[in-house]
Amino acid sequence: MPHLSAETDEPSGAYSLLISRVYDAIRTNLKAKIGLIILVVFLLCAIFASLLAPYDPNEMSMDMMSAPSFQHLLGTDDLGRDLFSRIIWGTQVSLFVGFITVAISMIVGVFLGVWAGYYGGWIDMIIMRYIDLQWAFPNFIIAVYLVAVFGTGLLNIIIAISLAFLDDFARVARSMVITLKEQPYIEAARMQGTSDFRIMFKHILPNSVGPIIVQASVSISYAILGEASLSFLGLGVNANTPTWGLILADGRSFISQAWWLGVFPGFAIMLIVLSINFIGDAVRDAFDIRHTEI
Amino acid sequence: MENNKLIKKAQNELKEAYDFDHRDPLFGLTTEEISGERLSRRTTLRLLAAGGALTLANILPGLRPSAAMAGGHGGGELKCAWSGVGEIVTLDPAKINQVLQFQITSNVLSGLMHIDNSLVAQGDLAESWTVSSDGLSYTIKLREGVTFHNGDNFNADDVLFTYNRSKDPEQSIHSRVIANVNELQKLNDYEVKFTLKKPQASFLTKALERASGRAMTIVSRGALESMGEAQYGLTPVGTGPYKVIEHKQGGSVVLERFAEYYDSGRPKLDKITITPVDGAEPLAAALEAGDVQYVGGNPIPSQLIDRFKSNPDLRVDIKPGPGFQSIWLNPWRDYMRVENFDKPLEELKKEKGFQVRLAIAKALDRDLFIKQAKFGNGYPAHGSINPAMGFYFDETLADTSEQAYDPEGARELLAQAGYPGGKGFPEIKLQTTPNTKRDGLVVANILKQVLGINVVVDPKDFTVGIEEFDTMDYDLRLGGSGGDYDPDDGLVDWMQTTSKFNGRKRDKSKYPFGFYSEAESDAAADAQSLVADPKERRELVRKANRITSDKVTCGFLYHPVDVLVHHKSIQVPDEARIPGLHELDRISLT
Amino acid sequence: MIAVSTLVFFMLRLVPGDPIAAMLADAGSDEARAALTKKFGFDQPVIIQYFKWIWNLLQGDLGTSLYGSNQKVTSILAEALPRTLSLAFLSFFIAIAIAFPAGIISAVKKNTTADHTVSIFAFLGLSMPDFWLAILLIIVFAANLQWLPAIGYAPLSSGFWEWLRHLILPSIAIGTGFSAIIARMLRSSLLGELKSDYMRTAAAKGLSDTSMVVVHALPNAMLPVITVLGIAIALLFSGAVVVENVFSIKGLGRVLIQGILNRDYPVVQGTVLLISAFFVFANLIVDLLYAVIDPRVRYD
Repeated sequence: MPHLSAETDEPSGAYSLLISRVYDAIRTNLKAKIGLIILVVFLLCAIFASLLAPYDPNEMSMDMMSAPSFQHLLGTDDLGRDLFSRIIWGTQVSLFVGFITVAISMIVGVFLGVWAGYYGGWIDMIIMRYIDLQWAFPNFIIAVYLVAVFGTGLLNIIIAISLAFLDDFARVARSMVITLKEQPYIEAARMQGTSDFRIMFKHILPNSVGPIIVQASVSISYAILGEASLSFLGLGVNANTPTWGLILADGRSFISQAWWLGVFPGFAIMLIVLSINFIGDAVRDAFDIRHTEI
Repeated sequence: MENNKLIKKAQNELKEAYDFDHRDPLFGLTTEEISGERLSRRTTLRLLAAGGALTLANILPGLRPSAAMAGGHGGGELKCAWSGVGEIVTLDPAKINQVLQFQITSNVLSGLMHIDNSLVAQGDLAESWTVSSDGLSYTIKLREGVTFHNGDNFNADDVLFTYNRSKDPEQSIHSRVIANVNELQKLNDYEVKFTLKKPQASFLTKALERASGRAMTIVSRGALESMGEAQYGLTPVGTGPYKVIEHKQGGSVVLERFAEYYDSGRPKLDKITITPVDGAEPLAAALEAGDVQYVGGNPIPSQLIDRFKSNPDLRVDIKPGPGFQSIWLNPWRDYMRVENFDKPLEELKKEKGFQVRLAIAKALDRDLFIKQAKFGNGYPAHGSINPAMGFYFDETLADTSEQAYDPEGARELLAQAGYPGGKGFPEIKLQTTPNTKRDGLVVANILKQVLGINVVVDPKDFTVGIEEFDTMDYDLRLGGSGGDYDPDDGLVDWMQTTSKFNGRKRDKSKYPFGFYSEAESDAAADAQSLVADPKERRELVRKANRITSDKVTCGFLYHPVDVLVHHKSIQVPDEARIPGLHELDRISLT
Repeated sequence: MIAVSTLVFFMLRLVPGDPIAAMLADAGSDEARAALTKKFGFDQPVIIQYFKWIWNLLQGDLGTSLYGSNQKVTSILAEALPRTLSLAFLSFFIAIAIAFPAGIISAVKKNTTADHTVSIFAFLGLSMPDFWLAILLIIVFAANLQWLPAIGYAPLSSGFWEWLRHLILPSIAIGTGFSAIIARMLRSSLLGELKSDYMRTAAAKGLSDTSMVVVHALPNAMLPVITVLGIAIALLFSGAVVVENVFSIKGLGRVLIQGILNRDYPVVQGTVLLISAFFVFANLIVDLLYAVIDPRVRYD
């Protein structure tokens, strides 16, 4: 398993190296730069939604299903709500869910993977049994199932998606740890009497972030797509918050009378995922990792 | 609009039908009149009235001059779409729980009786019958020479088999319908005798009837045994005008004319294909492309109605629908708390809980709701008695009710209750089903605009939602009733303390009653059920309706419409147009 | 698999909502309710229900649906499976048919316009939500042009062309994302191969371009692609769930969602089991393929 060419036993060194590599990667790649700009625009939409949206996203009017016009840039939906405003507000959920779920999934998954990889033995066996179990199901199906069990709502969606993506992170982390723990400097640290915990998280982990970051960049785009799909299936956040998947689902019954309801929300999803993919791609290239993960 | 003469005639018929002594076990008729091979229109009307199922809406269609129906069968094939449903789950009468399923089954299986378009009760599988003078015994002579679709001969054993199956709650969910039957005897191969526990006017006209009966829809014993119950639910075998030649779970139902049907004048078509179509767009696409020519099943999505109306190839027939939808308010929530509805209205209005309740009801801009949520298709509701009940409907209620839309008044009440402009009012949830989510959003928006309160729409799957409704675990709920043709359906089923929908599963120690309980309207609702004189009944019905409106049993919202859409080449005789059902054997192609 | 089934069984019991209520809608009496509860064995403790289920499972009986006409779960799945399989198969086929040429071309003609075009399309394909693509396809091909039907499924028995007509739009919707991944994977792995020593040797020996690529580089480039394949199959299944919904195709995905909404425990258990079995099976095949193709990898 390839790893960073510059290993150090200074954790802070590894992290700053990481950041500079990412920075370089993006700076030199046109697609990544475009991606970053798009992402920033969406981020601004999310943060300043109340300022940027011309209408309240839930404000109904008698102007139902009207085509894009000066008054309503992207048209209105079947209850007379402004589509442009709804899409702007929808950015919040998409970005928030996308990033938070991957963050949680990463933290928990990596923790489990490192534990399993480092200690081996029965801890490894138990953890890996579970990971293998989860790996037997496509991630999205797990998410759907968990939502069916826990119910819908923002918190439950976040839990469901975070849990569903655990297996990927755990596996990556574990295999990194297994490779790295045989390294001489780790042996040295152990002989010095450094605690296991310090070894795991101050020495091994910083040197294995490469593949983990790569996995994260992949997972974020699937998390966003996953949230949109859940919303679309009616298993999303709730009926009152305008998420893109929900707008698409509601608009389906009115497609032939209002095509804009089917086009623009999906376009927004595609743009955001695209930008993440551009950036992620550049990051992946920078770490010179062959595309053995998706 | 109806011809005045017709209405007058109908009203006379109605009056005459209700003119009997309700203690008479034969309801003012003679044994000769109730027995025979068919019941005269007058007799049928009397029995319907005595059973509490007769209104102007039933009478009028039969009086209109009908287009001459072509004799013999014209043939041809019809493709239908069944709206709003993903699959026809079952066609087994014992397991049917959706009207859309019965719309199909009633064309494949027969009952013992059949009430036709002109409200004459004919025998279906019964050839003739006699009723004893105490009204308790019905001796029925069965039609001979009738065969099932699989070739089996129909006889008394099948009636017995169906009866035993329906009476067993483990096999049929409609066992209550024949609860009044004490015993069914087989007298010989083609004669049976029902013995009732109490005289029941609706026995011939409802319990044994082909379309509304269900409990006595005759099933094929042979077929059930050979194919098993699961398969029978998909491809039932009966004695009706159409037989099922194909139906896979989730797929289309294909019906074919049953050549050996005992009435050679029906059916008129050779083949009918019924495809479940879930989703507004696919339905519109299929109908407009000509893939289907007729739509049945669940109500058509309202956004399509105008579109269909403006299509020159389609015929759209809109009738006021039998039903109502309301916003139900939980009186046990602190901010809406009403512990006793029996006080006079003026006193109730001084209570904070009731003020909130009334404020919400008054804030409902029904016209706006109908325009936005239903695209203009619907009637504002202020009570459970709907316009389809014709005679009993009270048009003045819209103006006189306490619930009439009055934003100023609503705001004032809310302020009096201590929440001026909605300030301090907690955020509450409005429970809907996934299908009515849109309607809920409109209502929530209206309440926010008028009262300034925050209502969060909470779509829940029907099974989960109904449980919460029954256990009083909700703030607000959007819901109501479908096929109500008679005041009993509205008042008795929903508005009374003992109504089956009124918090049936609640914890009685915490909640003495469900969403409403009031002695005066209870009494009026009980009384109207037994009264014979239609005018008297109307007074009682209106009284109960008014009280439930003023005292806010719930926030009445609207009466849905019943819409039939079909291609112009399809002939649907007016009489085959019973809201809620589809008499496919009377439809023909031009 | 045992663990899987256990997890599935117990998780389901946590789902709120009463299946008996669903069955009766509001047409039943208390006696009917009691009778149905007894009939389906819900009155027994959960543990007993579980063991009964496992016992039946081992005999090939997945139980009976709680909903509607109470069909056997096995027959419901038997109905749904061919649809999902057809869809998966066609999606796979379309995806590969697009991905291979695209991947090869863009690797061979690296950094030309062709390469960049393919790359852009691949990115787009990766980023598009499958249900959105499905809706777009419906708007264009079914609603406006009316070339293809918007919903439904036609079995092979009603003619190949009918079968294809109904499945082509959903297959494109599912296959696009899948093909993007394969194309990119193929490109990068092929590039890697093309750079390697033995390829230079082959060029020196004077082998033609085509034969170099196809006969020598390609087979070796397949390895990483096959690894990816296994994981990408997950996308096929997940995609099927949503796309089946859009096109109202009653395949496994649809059955699963409906089962969850109806609290139809036996159906959900059976479907999840089946889907995961397929997934495991597919991955097994991929692993075996990998081992077969690469003599360097040995199974331990």
